[in-house]
Amino acid sequence: MGFLTALGVDPRNVVFSSDTSEEQGRQFGKGRGTVDCCYPVKCISGHYGELVFGQKQKLDILLSPMIYNLPSFLSGHVAKSLTCPRVMAAPENIKAGFIKEQDAFAEAGIQYVTPFVSLDEPLLVPKQLFETMREALPGLTYEETGRAVEAGFRALRDFSHRLRKKSREVLEWCARENRACLMVIARPYHMDPGIGHEIEVDLQAYGYPILWMQYFPIDDDLMQWAFGEDIRAGHIKSAFDIRDVWPSSYSSNTNEILWGAKVAARIPWIACVVRMSSYECGMDQPTYTPVQQIVERSGTLFFSFQDLDSTKPSGSVKIRVETITHYLEKYAGTIIAKKKAAMPAGCPFLPAA
Amino acid sequence: MKFVGVDVGSTTVKAVVMEDGKVGWQDYQRHNTRQAEKVLEFLARMETEAGLAVGQDRVFFTGSGAGFIAPQVGAKLIQEVVAVAACVERQHPDVRFVSEIGGEDMKTIFFTATGTGRSKQVYMQSACSGGTGTFIEKTARKLQVPGERLAELPYAGMALHKVSSKCGIFAETDANTLVKTGVPVEEIIASLFEAVVYQNLATLTKGNTPAPEVLLLGGPNLFFKGLQEAWRHHLAKLWSQRKLDLGGREPASLINIPAEALYYACLGCIEIGQGEKPEIGIYQGSDKLKWWVEEGQHEAKAKEGARGLVAGAGDLATFVSEYVKPVPPCHVGDSRAQHVGAVLLGCDFGSTTAKAVVLSADRELLFSCYALSKGNPIEDAQSLFQQVREAGFTDVGALALTGYGKDLLKDVLGADMGVVETVAHATAALHFYPDADVICDVGGTDVKIMILRQGTVADFRLNSQCSSGNGAFLQGVAERYNIKLEAYADRAFEAKAMPSLTMGCGVFLQSDIVNQQRKGWSAEEIMAALAAVLPVNVWIYAGQLQNLRAAGRKFILQGGTHRNMAVVKAQVDFIRGKVPDAEVVLHPYSGEAGAIGAALCAGDWRTRGETSHFRGFETIAALTYTTTTSAGTVCKWCPINCTRTFIDVQLPGAKGREWSKVPLAPGWERVISGNSCPKGLVEDVNEMRVVKAKLEEVKREYPNVAEMVRKDAFRRVSAAAVAE
Repeated sequence: MGFLTALGVDPRNVVFSSDTSEEQGRQFGKGRGTVDCCYPVKCISGHYGELVFGQKQKLDILLSPMIYNLPSFLSGHVAKSLTCPRVMAAPENIKAGFIKEQDAFAEAGIQYVTPFVSLDEPLLVPKQLFETMREALPGLTYEETGRAVEAGFRALRDFSHRLRKKSREVLEWCARENRACLMVIARPYHMDPGIGHEIEVDLQAYGYPILWMQYFPIDDDLMQWAFGEDIRAGHIKSAFDIRDVWPSSYSSNTNEILWGAKVAARIPWIACVVRMSSYECGMDQPTYTPVQQIVERSGTLFFSFQDLDSTKPSGSVKIRVETITHYLEKYAGTIIAKKKAAMPAGCPFLPAA
Repeated sequence: MKFVGVDVGSTTVKAVVMEDGKVGWQDYQRHNTRQAEKVLEFLARMETEAGLAVGQDRVFFTGSGAGFIAPQVGAKLIQEVVAVAACVERQHPDVRFVSEIGGEDMKTIFFTATGTGRSKQVYMQSACSGGTGTFIEKTARKLQVPGERLAELPYAGMALHKVSSKCGIFAETDANTLVKTGVPVEEIIASLFEAVVYQNLATLTKGNTPAPEVLLLGGPNLFFKGLQEAWRHHLAKLWSQRKLDLGGREPASLINIPAEALYYACLGCIEIGQGEKPEIGIYQGSDKLKWWVEEGQHEAKAKEGARGLVAGAGDLATFVSEYVKPVPPCHVGDSRAQHVGAVLLGCDFGSTTAKAVVLSADRELLFSCYALSKGNPIEDAQSLFQQVREAGFTDVGALALTGYGKDLLKDVLGADMGVVETVAHATAALHFYPDADVICDVGGTDVKIMILRQGTVADFRLNSQCSSGNGAFLQGVAERYNIKLEAYADRAFEAKAMPSLTMGCGVFLQSDIVNQQRKGWSAEEIMAALAAVLPVNVWIYAGQLQNLRAAGRKFILQGGTHRNMAVVKAQVDFIRGKVPDAEVVLHPYSGEAGAIGAALCAGDWRTRGETSHFRGFETIAALTYTTTTSAGTVCKWCPINCTRTFIDVQLPGAKGREWSKVPLAPGWERVISGNSCPKGLVEDVNEMRVVKAKLEEVKREYPNVAEMVRKDAFRRVSAAAVAE
């Protein structure tokens, strides 16, 4: 929104496809599938279909960028912040299902725009966007694009900042009340109700606040408290360094997942980690064991929901959720106490002793 | 010179004899898994009835069962899709999409016009029963719809219901549920046709549009009128959605089911055969095949078989001494009477039985009993509590419930806690075996695998996607051989060798068994083989657990199916094959594990020092309740419309349900039964509103960052406005 509104697009003229759902896939994506084993990528057919066929408002442009790398908070501390190659290539792959026989975009009068963007290399982004969008937006200048990109990054920073602040408030409340919260370690698309199936919402209903690793607070005081000892001991160079657990730190989301495990293991009030992954995710496979072991070593409960696809296995989710809450109720107090004892003094959430 | 095309499919054999471009003879018959025998019979008939001559006429085979048979008679093998495509190309130049549905497979072929001719794209699946002819027939048999009637049943205009399109066995279960709720058989069959077309379009189009003209081939497409209607409906809808130009023609006229739909593979064989060099495919007579049918296959049997379940008397003796033990008895009569003080009561309300156990304050098992479920949970509970009381226990220190009935009955009985099944089983296992790593519970209709870490159930597999691996199947086969389930193990241990059955789909396993049977494998050998394949189905196919070693080294087996020692032997060998140092234990109270676990949890609860809410034996025995089954109790959450029963129980302090369509005065509590899924436990939209409102309140108090992310990220305002 930051980028588009800075270009002068009226916010009311920006349409997002709705949350992923089985219905969406069936109504708009059926028969447009392409060969891809990644469930979230498959879902994109439904989203495109909804935008092309399912709008009252006439759309001019379908914007679906191919994102090569992401501006992760770990950037600079890890080798690279690349996206998953399947996700990056998805716009090209999914497009095929819409132009194979007839050009469905052209028929609907829609320009299909898929800029290739390196969001972790901000200086390259104006050039990348200008080159792909100048045709769709006649009269667009390079300078204008540059300014809009800056606005976009600013909006993204503000957004992350707001959410990290909210997460911090949750943690402060937990510390004050000595209450447990849960942290979800998953990929960003698991926040979509059609992909993550709102499994964490069922847990929330039992009275546990839910944090997501992506928006964990990263303020200095907290990071020093959590990782200071490791830095001084020379295990890691900074709070965002994950070389101690994941040397091949190339993938942005995978890096964040491993970092999430480390931070969850350290924060006393995170009594339980819920791990989600989609059907046969090749990026997630190698992370299962390290993440589990990092979390469990600290005594934190760990439950994983793997191979999620289109159907929410309601019966088994219900049983799992009841299982998790049973153990949380039974052990959360002990876990918090044990983790507190393992951490140094000076927790920024607690009044100084 | 005559050309012969023979198609050996998964359920039928089809053959065509052609001379000078004219069909001289054709027939198709079901082979009932005796493929070679049926081919032999056909060859003999073609020799006498159509003059098929040895050393002169030419024979071409195709189909899933042809690979082994073709070389026996000098025939050349042609891949089935290639054969069908060849025939279509010759006879129907305008066809762009072909669906061929067989007994146990399905194929689609897309033809696209290119500069010089037509290019083909072929998709096929034969691993799963979803979308095949067996899928329809199996359920139709269960519904007792004879073949002739099935062929005539319509699709158009029928109300459709949700039937699993993925698995034949689940479709059957769905159909059963629909029957129970009074859905007419015709509507269920129409729903099956819907499911087959959906499955074919969903899995075998891969981004292509089935464009006109369309050809439907294979037995199911030819014989089932309803299936044809379903295709017409879906294709016409698809064409109008995709705005295909039909040249002003009616969509229905663009979908053809030729009278020879069964013989396209045979005709294609001949088409291709005619282009082959003259020395290819010359008929060598049927002697070699005859020898194989009569003797060869039995010799082959001995070679291909695996060793039996036991590797000899020594192996069996070791196994028996380790595992076959009398169940440790519960304390009987006198010891029970001597027990003083409050006891812990655990009840497991399952879907077929309800069980109760009594533990002493020191967690010692004192008594257990069960009641077969009669469909009214209140009566089941009353029966259990009467037994407990008659056994002499009066002082209940704490009561916990588990099983599906736990939430229903918690308030009515005054239970101190409801314990989820996984926790109950894990608690029971850890009580007897504190170092347990994995619990494998195989019941009659389900498989549960629980992986324990840190004293909790860290991972859990419930077989709900596929029926493969449960105990009902073993029982079915034993019944077919007229062998009592108790005698299963002894008979299976007698087998010195056994066939290897294929892991996976239960529907296909059935035909695999018939196949092995006709190869001469005896009842005990097949029973041994079935026990041997069960662990593979349980752990790998249903449980999706490839790496047993990562799960741990101490395995607890429980659940009714593990009373069968042949299964236990197979499990032990399988697990030790994967985890050589594994310790495999048979739970001594495997049927009562859930109730014991609940009682143990009740014990934990009691240590907090609270007083039990148990309502007392008298109150439970004297519970006043009314049952209502009416239009107002019908579940409206999905089109199945379960006819539920509301059991209203008089309970002091209960809130009642004034908002309900079947209003309930304060002082009464409602228990809902007769629903087929958990959704039905919520009465209607009114109750949903009450539940939702409560939930929203909780959600406000305990935030979820993902919700904030969604709200914030997709806000349609300018960035500047957000910043302010």
